[in-house]
Amino acid sequence: MTTIREKGYAHWDGEFIDRRFPWWPITRTSIKLAFQRKHFKFFFSGAFIPAVVFLVGIYISERIEDFRFMFKGSDKLLVINPAYFKTYMTGDFLLFMIVMLLTFSGAGLISDDIKHNSLQLYFSRPIRKMDYFLGKASVIFFFTLVLTLVPGLIFFFMKLVFSGNFDFFLAYPWLPLAVFAYAGLLTVFLAFYTLLISALSKNRRYVSIMMFTIYIFSESIHGILFGIFRNPYLALFSIKANIQQAGAAIFGQKLPYAFPQYLSFLVLGAVCLLSAYVLKRRIRGVEVIR
Amino acid sequence: MTAVIETRNLSKWYGNVLGLSDVTLQIEPGITGLLGPNGAGKSTFMKLITGQMKPNIGSALIQGEKVWNNYSLFRRIGLCPEQDTFYEEITGWEFLTGLLKFYGFGASEVKERAERALEIVELAKDKDRKIRGYSRGMRQRIRFAQAIAHDPEIIVLDEPLNGLDPLGKRKLIRLIKDYKGEGKTILVSSHVLPEIEAMTSDIILIHQGKILAKGDIYYIRDLIEAHPHIISIRCARPRDLAARFVHEDYLQKMYFGPDGGSLMVETHKRDKFFSRLQSFIVEDGIDVEEITSPDDNLQAVFDYLVGK
Repeated sequence: MTTIREKGYAHWDGEFIDRRFPWWPITRTSIKLAFQRKHFKFFFSGAFIPAVVFLVGIYISERIEDFRFMFKGSDKLLVINPAYFKTYMTGDFLLFMIVMLLTFSGAGLISDDIKHNSLQLYFSRPIRKMDYFLGKASVIFFFTLVLTLVPGLIFFFMKLVFSGNFDFFLAYPWLPLAVFAYAGLLTVFLAFYTLLISALSKNRRYVSIMMFTIYIFSESIHGILFGIFRNPYLALFSIKANIQQAGAAIFGQKLPYAFPQYLSFLVLGAVCLLSAYVLKRRIRGVEVIR
Repeated sequence: MTAVIETRNLSKWYGNVLGLSDVTLQIEPGITGLLGPNGAGKSTFMKLITGQMKPNIGSALIQGEKVWNNYSLFRRIGLCPEQDTFYEEITGWEFLTGLLKFYGFGASEVKERAERALEIVELAKDKDRKIRGYSRGMRQRIRFAQAIAHDPEIIVLDEPLNGLDPLGKRKLIRLIKDYKGEGKTILVSSHVLPEIEAMTSDIILIHQGKILAKGDIYYIRDLIEAHPHIISIRCARPRDLAARFVHEDYLQKMYFGPDGGSLMVETHKRDKFFSRLQSFIVEDGIDVEEITSPDDNLQAVFDYLVGK
């Protein structure tokens, strides 16, 4: 019996236009979903409290005579210099709030895709694995940069505006670059850190707890071991300590821990490498039977 | 006619497990059914030809171009995976438009295409409902919608009728058949012969990672006729029903299911059996919960083809 096939197949003659940023739909959707989460807006707003306080500080520093009655000698704290920027950027509260925000917005970035088998939907579209990672990492970039780079540059600009001259710029022309460098380092590290943990489990809640616990636990381990051994190198176990050490080095300030700064860069870099390796292994379009 | 999908010595292992072995074939426009029991390699084949997995040996080509790592080619393919792949908390509309944005369409075109796809799958009314609230049939249809929304030339449907009720199956079969008319190449997999038969007469038989036969379904049908059909009837009084059938000479075998709640029948004359079954059910007022045809007959064909 001869098979009669359906005819009428027509080859499509149109032109395909490559999207310039194919990862952007992933980023946009993930940011949108983050803002739909319960309490997220509250935490997001709360994370700007240090920025507002530091900005007010810059304003007051330029009108110090008007506010001297408030300070009673502690106005020396309001000297605007790279140390002031470093204090904001590497402050405990800001880092804590960023990690909190990332547990809300970043925990499900990959774990939800694994849970919902969505990876094969992504990878059956004209996007590469790299686009997928960039799309996911850009969510972390957004939330971290909006709390570090953006306030840092605003502080610098507002200092010039409030002072009405370029003396600050002439004294510290490299400061905006330091802001860029530190914000970049923090963002890249946190993106790898968040995506690494998010790729380890299907359960977003479990990932959130892990993200937060590892951050806090690494600091506790450092505290406990330092209490016993009194060795400053033990700070290398702490995520926060390594960020602060690297931050101090970038802003040209006295290092908070008595060990070479490059060690902290190495630790942060090692976490990023580990993350890249795990992500490469974990993220496949389809399930692989072993 | 030019082959749209072509594989050359395509092979895939999962560690020591063989997924697909030395598959060389060509698939032409129209609907092609990929038929095989569970674990035969249907999904592996589909994942390889859609570029989801890298073959260990051989290559898969779409319109002459290698698929693996050829991301721009993915615009021409619409994949409907077997499992649910949704974020339950988003709406059908958000799901579709979100995926359409990957193709670089402008906002108005995304909207237009999503609307058109939802119209086709008859989900326009439910587009703003969260996927969490969708029935199984609706989920299957929205999965189909995401596969066709960007108007691909090749549509790959992995077990699209799995778990659907008869009405849902009929709706989806109609959709798939309608779509064929638009000059597409559709590859649809299933482990149930009648499902494939309802869509196409052009099939590929796959078993244990190997292609056993490719061609016309009637040949397979004839082979199946040579083996008894197994029919399971789950009902309230299986023993009463068995008593009615005991004198029917076209039944080869009759026995009860492991839980005693179903009657299993083996026969060569399926149509005659169903016609008698209907009248017995009506005459005796037997409440039937489910009638299924396990695939043992298909398995028998596979066994025959592999020379067991």
